[in-house]
Amino acid sequence: MNIFEWSFLSGVLTATAPVLLAALGGLLCQVAGVFNIALEGQLLWGAFTAVVVSDATGSAWAGVAGAIIATVLFSGLLSGASVRLKADPIVVAVGLNLLALGLTAFLMRQIFGSGGTYSSPDLAGLPTLAELGLDIPVLGPQSPLVPLALLLVVAMAWWLTRTRSGLRLRGAGQHLEAAEAVGLPVAAYRHGVTLAAGALCGLAGAQLSLGNVTLFSEGMSAGRGWIAVVAVMLSSVLPYRLLLACLLFGVAEAFGFRLQGAGLPQQAADAAPYVITLVALVLAAVWRRRSHEHA
Amino acid sequence: MRKTPTIAAVALLLSLAACGGGETGGTAAEAPPAKSIILITPNPVGTNSFLQLGVKGAEAAAKELGASFKLYESKDPTSIAQNVDAAVRAKPTVVVGISFSFDDVFNTVPKANPGQQFLQVDSCAKDQAPNLSCVSFKEHEAAYLAGVEAGLLSTSGQIGVVAALDTPFIHRWIEPFFEGAKSVKPESAGTPLYVGGSNPFSDPARAKSQAQTLTGRGVDVIAAAASGGNPGVFEAVAASGGKAFGVDVNQCALSPGNVIDNVLKNVDVAENAAIKEIFNGKAGGVKVYGLAEGGVGVNALGDDLASSGCTVAASPDVVAKVKQTRDDIVAGKITVADPLAG
Repeated sequence: MNIFEWSFLSGVLTATAPVLLAALGGLLCQVAGVFNIALEGQLLWGAFTAVVVSDATGSAWAGVAGAIIATVLFSGLLSGASVRLKADPIVVAVGLNLLALGLTAFLMRQIFGSGGTYSSPDLAGLPTLAELGLDIPVLGPQSPLVPLALLLVVAMAWWLTRTRSGLRLRGAGQHLEAAEAVGLPVAAYRHGVTLAAGALCGLAGAQLSLGNVTLFSEGMSAGRGWIAVVAVMLSSVLPYRLLLACLLFGVAEAFGFRLQGAGLPQQAADAAPYVITLVALVLAAVWRRRSHEHA
Repeated sequence: MRKTPTIAAVALLLSLAACGGGETGGTAAEAPPAKSIILITPNPVGTNSFLQLGVKGAEAAAKELGASFKLYESKDPTSIAQNVDAAVRAKPTVVVGISFSFDDVFNTVPKANPGQQFLQVDSCAKDQAPNLSCVSFKEHEAAYLAGVEAGLLSTSGQIGVVAALDTPFIHRWIEPFFEGAKSVKPESAGTPLYVGGSNPFSDPARAKSQAQTLTGRGVDVIAAAASGGNPGVFEAVAASGGKAFGVDVNQCALSPGNVIDNVLKNVDVAENAAIKEIFNGKAGGVKVYGLAEGGVGVNALGDDLASSGCTVAASPDVVAKVKQTRDDIVAGKITVADPLAG
């Protein structure tokens, strides 16, 4: 395999990583019966806070930690409003997405004194694995958060199918009344998964703003959180399928870039992820219907 | 007690209305309306360097003409229309709007207010009324000069452009750039890639991926025409050891040592000149600013090149060639094809 193909795979992983991390959060919520569509806003919030903390401390890892903490707090708004106060989670999530967009733009002007894009030599980006001494193909140019995302997929699959707590969580999501009847703390589960999704979106944001690039730009999540929501819907709540769905988008994006270079118009290359989403949704629906008919 | 401010406000409004009535009546006792300029931006100015230049140009013109200056910042298309309405009611000497965002409003409003002068900078409404003047730029001439630098400074002979979208207007930064490179090194090969996606003008992550796709194929000089995505392009060339070009304003300081030069658009110069012409009674038409008029350029042509932070400063022979090419374009010896005219 030549350099070009290695770089293609690497490009796929770069495009996939932030979407996958956010989608893992979405999946966890879905397992517990919480439909979380605030991923886009949390991703953007995570990207912003990662840059703020990294810029202030000069440490990328402090930035990652800051993004996780800040995004958990941010997702606390969703868990507090929807689980505790019983507000419609969809409405709250839409509000949070809008809040993140406006709040990051506003705080950016307050903190950095500038709008648009912020980048600075003080801003520490995540090191690549190659810089950490692991110069292997494909993963070498990635930040450590990329293999972490892949490991999290395995860990989540194991946890949800092989551990007592994971099975209980699934039970609470699949049959609320039954779970309550056997005395499971369903509300606590829901708070927990929403906050955990916040932590994962914080990681996703840090990967986007300190891993993929080293800067913050207004609205830089650019729909990746929505792609993550779609990936969750496609996954049938199975972590490995979620990985496949996210990789599909990564391939579509990286492939779209290369198709453009080969002469495909940008508008057509741009449509690739959305066409794939539509086709995948339709196929998933068809499969589901078939399996129901056979059952 | 609570009602007092309301009453005061109503009284104030009534008195204002009375003033307005007096003006339209044109009574001899009233002083002639003072000269004034109202500038409307399509977005909040903030650190948008392009809009900052627009404000600077109008402010300078106002100062030199002894006119008052007001800035109306818009947030979205609706507020653009509201700001234009408010500006027309204030009856300034000229209402200035920046960018293509005013194409719609300036199609209709100038016709409805034939006594008011309008100026549109960096675009022109399709249905141009006689009281609407327009300023546009020959961005392709500056892109050609940048291409000359790229051709001379690229070692691989492969150059590229990362642009926000594949639209006719944005092509002004693409083909002329490649043409310029070919004029000094005929074997130069150019590849354009587009950011696209759901936020093409502010997606540095995608812009960086595109730039990496280019550097992965051996491209070593990339012109960034991706607006908010440009820093992503600069990061990609910094990692691969290549070089980039910025756009509109001096972006060399954004990524020290990695930016050769910028395709500049001197909005302030052109706007200032256009406002003065309107004040002198030469309104209407489209004024096009190219290299000859100083409306576009590159940092290599500037007096402050040494302090600009642009790496082209280290190559005096390239600067000399750029100056010569500029002179040839101004003298008409070289004609840069306009992709928009295509």
